[in-house]
Amino acid sequence: MAEQLTNAVNDKKITLNITTPRGLKFVEKADMVIMRCIDGDLGVLSGHAPVSAILGDGILRIINNGVVKKLALFGGIAEIGKKTVNIFSTIAQRPEEIDLERAETDRKELEALFKEKIEERRIQTSLILLRRTLVRIEVSMDLEEVEYFEEESEKREF
Amino acid sequence: MSSMRDIKQRIENVRSVEQIIKAMDMVASTKLVKIRAQLEGVRPIYRELKRVAEEVGSQEGAKFHPFYKEREVKNSLYIVLTSDRGLAGSYNANITAKALEHMNQGKNEKIVAVGSKGYEYFKRKGKNIVQTIIDLPDAQVYYGTESLAKWLVDYYMTGEADEVFIAYTHFMSVLNYVPVVVRLLPVIIKETDKENEIKYEPNQDTFIDHMIPLYLHMKLFRAFSESHTSEQAARMVNMDAAGKNASEIIEKLTHLYNRKRQTAITQELSEIVGSVNILNKGGLHDN
Repeated sequence: MAEQLTNAVNDKKITLNITTPRGLKFVEKADMVIMRCIDGDLGVLSGHAPVSAILGDGILRIINNGVVKKLALFGGIAEIGKKTVNIFSTIAQRPEEIDLERAETDRKELEALFKEKIEERRIQTSLILLRRTLVRIEVSMDLEEVEYFEEESEKREF
Repeated sequence: MSSMRDIKQRIENVRSVEQIIKAMDMVASTKLVKIRAQLEGVRPIYRELKRVAEEVGSQEGAKFHPFYKEREVKNSLYIVLTSDRGLAGSYNANITAKALEHMNQGKNEKIVAVGSKGYEYFKRKGKNIVQTIIDLPDAQVYYGTESLAKWLVDYYMTGEADEVFIAYTHFMSVLNYVPVVVRLLPVIIKETDKENEIKYEPNQDTFIDHMIPLYLHMKLFRAFSESHTSEQAARMVNMDAAGKNASEIIEKLTHLYNRKRQTAITQELSEIVGSVNILNKGGLHDN
């Protein structure tokens, strides 16, 4: 009976696989996955109809047992099945992999660039770069929050 | 007959060549480990994207998309992956021969030569080389293939080429690598009877527009990785064989040198013994 129950709980979960050119990078069970597609966010729960989608530059949110994990994901495609979500992307970064200092300096440089007069084409590429930097900054902020909560919980235990 | 000094000189020469060979062997084996890890990393995403590309292609309506539609072939583009440096045995010869054999099936070919060996070879043959990529550093391969994929899409879409092939060396194991020629564009459609009910976001055409460049990028990156891995493996194996040959030559020459030395000593000894004998008999003025 207990086994059946846990099975029932597991049935509601979806398996997320992220494959990058460095191999299968990320495998995780999740209640819900929210990804940024080129025309808006797409949330996926278990039992979703099979869909393949193009991803844009944005944050991938993985919600499992009430905990939200964030990943920076730039481009690629997502293949959604009933129980699985396969993401193929060239760049997928965890919060701890992001160099926040570098992202901040990149943002300052890019924002300074927009104050000057630049050509139309460079605006386009710079906008994409700025968007990526902002995503990186937001994702890496997430890491600090998580650490903060961990400290809190430790304190409560003592 | 060469003198003892000549033999000694030769031994020295072979020994210094052997040192170089050993160094190259070491370099190739370290590079092999690194590039092999890269290859193992890219293979899964390539395989999955290939499956997705084939799945989309089998859908009704995708057959008319420019990336999938077969056109009348006037020009064929060949991307031939060779190495920049030699001393890799028959590695370059195998891949250029394979590419040439494919071109000789009555194709009007244009060539993208990657690696100076391939460039020199096709230039000598008087082929139409439209672009060359030489001395691409290992760290730049990823971005290099990305821009090559973009260029390729433009080139194909403007009608400069009606089909695109890539010739690379598929890495099976350290001792086994096969040169292959495969078609990149139009993307090969695999007919399946399976009912495909996948929906595409935002729509099928946009999906193909975005997916195929990524697929091409990964396919090129993987082909580059396969070729580089094969190159380093070939170099390692060949340098190993060359190192053995050098040791053999050194051994033979040392034998020869020792024999000569022994002959010289024997000769000297017999001269001394001969003279002593004569002196013992009372010198040259007896009788």
